[in-house]
Amino acid sequence: MIEAYAPYTNEETIRELELLAKELKDIKVLHVNSTKEGGGVAEILTRLVPLMNELGIKTDWKVIKGDEEFFRTTKKIHNLLHMPQQETLESSDLINYLRTTYENLNLIDTENYDVVFIHDPQPMGLVVKKQKGQRWLWRCHIDTSTPDQKAWEFIEGFLNAYDAAVFHIPEFVYRGVKIPAFVIPPSIDPIHPKNMELKEEQSKDILERLGIDSRKPMLLQVSRFDRLKDPLGFYQAYKLVKKKYDCSFVLAGSFAPDDPEGQEVYTEVLNAAVGDKDVHVLNLPPTSHVEINALQRSATVVFQKSIREGFGLVVSEAMWKRKAVIGGNTGGIRRQIVDGLTGYLVNTVEGAAFRAKHLLADRSLREVLGENAKERVRHRFLITRHLKDWLLLMSFLLGSSQIGTGGLEPPTSAL
Amino acid sequence: MKESFLFKTELWVPLYTGLKVDNLQDFIRTMRTVDAQSILYHLYINFFNYHSLPSYYANSFAYWLYMNGYRTLAEKISLIDPTDYFDLEEVRQSMLGILEDYKDEKVKGTLEPFYFMSVYRKVLETGDIARDIDEFIRGLRNSSINSIFYHLITSRVEKKRLINDYSQWLMNEGYAKKAEEISKLNIYAFNLYELKEEILRILEEG
Repeated sequence: MIEAYAPYTNEETIRELELLAKELKDIKVLHVNSTKEGGGVAEILTRLVPLMNELGIKTDWKVIKGDEEFFRTTKKIHNLLHMPQQETLESSDLINYLRTTYENLNLIDTENYDVVFIHDPQPMGLVVKKQKGQRWLWRCHIDTSTPDQKAWEFIEGFLNAYDAAVFHIPEFVYRGVKIPAFVIPPSIDPIHPKNMELKEEQSKDILERLGIDSRKPMLLQVSRFDRLKDPLGFYQAYKLVKKKYDCSFVLAGSFAPDDPEGQEVYTEVLNAAVGDKDVHVLNLPPTSHVEINALQRSATVVFQKSIREGFGLVVSEAMWKRKAVIGGNTGGIRRQIVDGLTGYLVNTVEGAAFRAKHLLADRSLREVLGENAKERVRHRFLITRHLKDWLLLMSFLLGSSQIGTGGLEPPTSAL
Repeated sequence: MKESFLFKTELWVPLYTGLKVDNLQDFIRTMRTVDAQSILYHLYINFFNYHSLPSYYANSFAYWLYMNGYRTLAEKISLIDPTDYFDLEEVRQSMLGILEDYKDEKVKGTLEPFYFMSVYRKVLETGDIARDIDEFIRGLRNSSINSIFYHLITSRVEKKRLINDYSQWLMNEGYAKKAEEISKLNIYAFNLYELKEEILRILEEG
């Protein structure tokens, strides 16, 4: 399986992964998160855990168990770590969190591992079981730069027992982190249906099925129906471009029936665009990987016109398909797009329209930026780089004598 | 006795120092004390990662200065060639010399933040060994860009010497002209793939 990645990177990269893994082959590694399916964490573990095993590092993946109330509490903690909200952490939340954590201590064996990766806040409390000599690592997928203070203090009690933490980008690291903070961005998988090569005919068929005229230049944004992704800003930019270029507008995303904001935003965009036959607002099932792939490959210009963004890995997905992406100048988008070299960073609707017009007018500009974009993703945002980072991280953890104290008191008095 | 050439490679994972600045004064203050590995990271991350930054500024310090309107400082910092030094402290002092002496530009307010990163580095032997020039060329062909980076750049810092590993070995083997040509390569004019091809071209020339 690891060899399957060689055509997308090169043989030397695979050889380096094998060299790194050779030094770690006698260790046992455990990953713990909160779900086997759905969401970015499960997606990346589904791919990386088998690769680690293939490289000879015995790696298991376990999932914390909890009732609805527990996951409501952890969702609240998640939101509060992101930023202060109207709601706050109550004593009952903490009791609930700690009770479920203690129940899981008996369900999840963490003792027989040399390195334990804990993903996000849900299983974080398991660290109370940390044994001497073990290395524990907290993988944070949240922007914690401006957290609610109480929520931060609560998790900090656990966090300080870890040997290191990992964040997507330095902007997401809270200034009060006292343990080594590594920066490991997420990655895309080139052999996932979302990114695999597609024949032009396949893409055309899919577009036809979706009712999109593949002969027309296409402006595309793939995102949830969420105001922070600024779908209306994308539409306004399209209207400005449309004055000069006959192109189509495709907004592809999904929303669940129990997502009122998604439904609202979807309707708003539809209402704004009523009567324009070149506008396609697609609510696709979350499993529409090949459809999204075909749309990205067929697009002339890709937008990610977010106002606020986590990492925004969809940008790298489009860049991998040699697309110059016009992205909002925010969050992880800024770490993926090098302005003017692999795409454009914009602050306004007008800026987005201006860049789109340039790209539509100049095929060679699209090709140069698109090629640069692909190379940037090849070196920085592919799963092979992610795997290399994990191996290095374990090498750091197991090689350092200054880290790892073992054990801690649970933060029952954090509030 | 002649020495064999042991091919190695170097891999990085970034580590955040926790030091974030948003004005020139703090930038200079932090530059004085930040870990030397941070200097290494910001000098080289650009071409270590290939398309990291627009190539008209050589390192991320210069790029940040440029992005925040300190264009003159950006030019001066960009001209510092770290391959002229084997000691990161000397590079640091050269940059500080430029930053501290520079009085002409107006003091700006709050800038886009600069995050001082550091790095955990791991050097590994690749298993390739060269005992003669043919094996050397073969080893180089097998080398990754990370290996090129190590032998051309960071091993000099580790060994505290100005000459890169390739040139040193070639010199010992009696290929002084080739050694010199490789030493003179302008690392900022090429990406690492192109550097590899340039070195191979020099080695394979008659």
